[in-house]
Amino acid sequence: MSGFAVLLVDDEVAFTAILAKVLRRRGIDVEVYNRGDGVLDRVRRGSVDVAILDVKMPGTSGLELLAEIKRHAPGTEVILMTGHLSLDDEADGLAAGAFAYLLKPHPIDDLVARVEAAAAAARNRASRVAGPGPGGRDAEPPEGSH
Amino acid sequence: MSAGGANGYRTMFRTLVVRILAVSVLPLLVIASANFVLFLSLNRSVVIDGHSSLLRYHRESIEAFLASLTAEVATLAHQYTLAELEGGDLERVFEVIQREASVYTDVGIIGSDGEHLKYVGPYNLAGRNYRSTEWFAQVVEKGVYVSDVFMGFRGVPHFVIAVKRQEGDGFWILRATVNTDYFSKLVDAARLGRTGETFIVNRQGLYQTRTHFAGNLLEPSGYPDLEPHDGIRVRRLEVGSKGYFYTTTWLAAPRWLLISRQEVSDAYSPLRRAIVVGILMSAAGVVGAGILAVVVARSQVRRIKRADREKEALTARLVATGKTAAVGEMSAGLAHEINNPLATIDTLQTWIRDLAGTAPIAEDDRAEILDSAGKIGEQVERCKAITQGLLKFARRVETRPAEVQLNEVLRELATILRARARVEGVELVTELAPLPAMLASTTHLQQVFVNLVNNAVDAVAGKPDGRVEIRSRLDGGTIRVDVVDNGAGIPPENLSSIFLPFFTTKPVGQGTGLGLAICHGLVQELGGAIEVSSTVGEGTTFTVTLPPAPAGAQPQGGTP
Repeated sequence: MSGFAVLLVDDEVAFTAILAKVLRRRGIDVEVYNRGDGVLDRVRRGSVDVAILDVKMPGTSGLELLAEIKRHAPGTEVILMTGHLSLDDEADGLAAGAFAYLLKPHPIDDLVARVEAAAAAARNRASRVAGPGPGGRDAEPPEGSH
Repeated sequence: MSAGGANGYRTMFRTLVVRILAVSVLPLLVIASANFVLFLSLNRSVVIDGHSSLLRYHRESIEAFLASLTAEVATLAHQYTLAELEGGDLERVFEVIQREASVYTDVGIIGSDGEHLKYVGPYNLAGRNYRSTEWFAQVVEKGVYVSDVFMGFRGVPHFVIAVKRQEGDGFWILRATVNTDYFSKLVDAARLGRTGETFIVNRQGLYQTRTHFAGNLLEPSGYPDLEPHDGIRVRRLEVGSKGYFYTTTWLAAPRWLLISRQEVSDAYSPLRRAIVVGILMSAAGVVGAGILAVVVARSQVRRIKRADREKEALTARLVATGKTAAVGEMSAGLAHEINNPLATIDTLQTWIRDLAGTAPIAEDDRAEILDSAGKIGEQVERCKAITQGLLKFARRVETRPAEVQLNEVLRELATILRARARVEGVELVTELAPLPAMLASTTHLQQVFVNLVNNAVDAVAGKPDGRVEIRSRLDGGTIRVDVVDNGAGIPPENLSSIFLPFFTTKPVGQGTGLGLAICHGLVQELGGAIEVSSTVGEGTTFTVTLPPAPAGAQPQGGTP
């Protein structure tokens, strides 16, 4: 397979189910979470390259999760994907270190390209940064795009 | 409405005129009346004071003149001996004292016995004896004497200055006759107005100088107050049918009464002129105030009318804005709700295509499946366009505003859109007047005007003489941009809803109906307004008004 680990976090069960299948078929190994709970634990266990997060979810929101991930596992890249185009959310997300902010529905091919780019960035960072930093602030700024 | 129509404005106009007149004319009249009363009371004293001070100075100058003549005659008498003067020096002396002006008529030497020893002058007086004359007695007694005017041997009114010169045991007298005309002119130099004149009478009231109107030399003047007094007196006398101001003062030597008189009406003529001028000025003031009142009232009423109209327009716009905002909020929620299932459908479509590529299906069916999946994808794209438009409409916040030259934005955008317009057979022209910089996001401005211009191009596309104009200008500190087309126009019933989301007249699938709603929202965000006017069959004009940047930005050069 791809050799990198991707988390897909979204409360839309039908969406995650089919997107996971489509991504796997394109060689991207995906673990699905339909709630924010448990995601942080999984990320902290290590070896997660990319987390695709919905912004609006019951319980922990995507932005909160992003902050936690960047604090505890700065080596993991985060792609925010939401049905709600909010420029405030987008600005906050990118400022908090998100790799990209995408509006649903986003073309699959581009999503795949971005996930691969994010994974490459994560690997690259992991090889350069010795050990996890205090809050990911010493990491290079994300190549934000949308 | 506030003014209640044309009638209300007329009443307002009348009320304003009356009020302005009251406020401006009443004080004017009060001040004018007060001035008039004050002027009347002051004027008499001003006339009297004027006459008095003039006469005081004049008396001093006449006294000085007479004193200087006396001193001159006395000096000459003591410079020469009788023999010198008789021997021919008297002619030279006369020449010398006449050098400046014809002050003297003649000069003569009289012996102690009254005999006229020598004479230089126009009259034949040699050999006369003056022993019995008044002036001879006076000069023998006093040494120096200035006579009153008298006829004497020559039979002509004159007065003399005589000085007694002691020489050896005896004495002789040097006598000079003063030129009466010269002296009269000197005295009358201080005349006032048209009827004023100044003259001298002696203790007996006889004229000592020539007058213009009062009387001839040596005639009795009839002036009633001939008792010497100090200082200046002013009295009003009726002579014949006329009233006169008489201002009088006594000379020190000789004791002559210097009189300045002027007709009362003449003395008061500056006052009358001043009153007439005052009345005219007040009248002009009243007329001016009237004109001002009308002009001010008219402009005020016009301003109120305009304000009323603007208020009406604003109210209408606010209603529209309220509607737009409500719809906007709804749209955001709606878009979010639709985007999620849309994403699922889109992904499912991808999955179907993925599977159709490999699963064992009849070849025809595979084509059908892929075709159907493709069509689902197309419909998803359409929905996406709508939801993204909705979201943009709902969330107009974008990049930070910066100083932008709107004309540059318009010029660039016209260049880009001209290509499309040409394809449609539409002429796209710009007419950009110099504008100040404005504070806005370039993206916003582009979005607004691309939308408007595209709509305009759509409106005339395919017409034989299709034409779209982008015109910018500065209008009373506000930036105005007109996007004008000569298309079919918009029916009145559509004009009111044109800025509402989802309003479109384009065929299904060709327009989201969000373009103008987004324009409307963006322009409002920029602190401006967007309006539309349209005539069916002639065309449509969208007018965007935008505020310039608050700081003193320099106008940019526009090119037509």
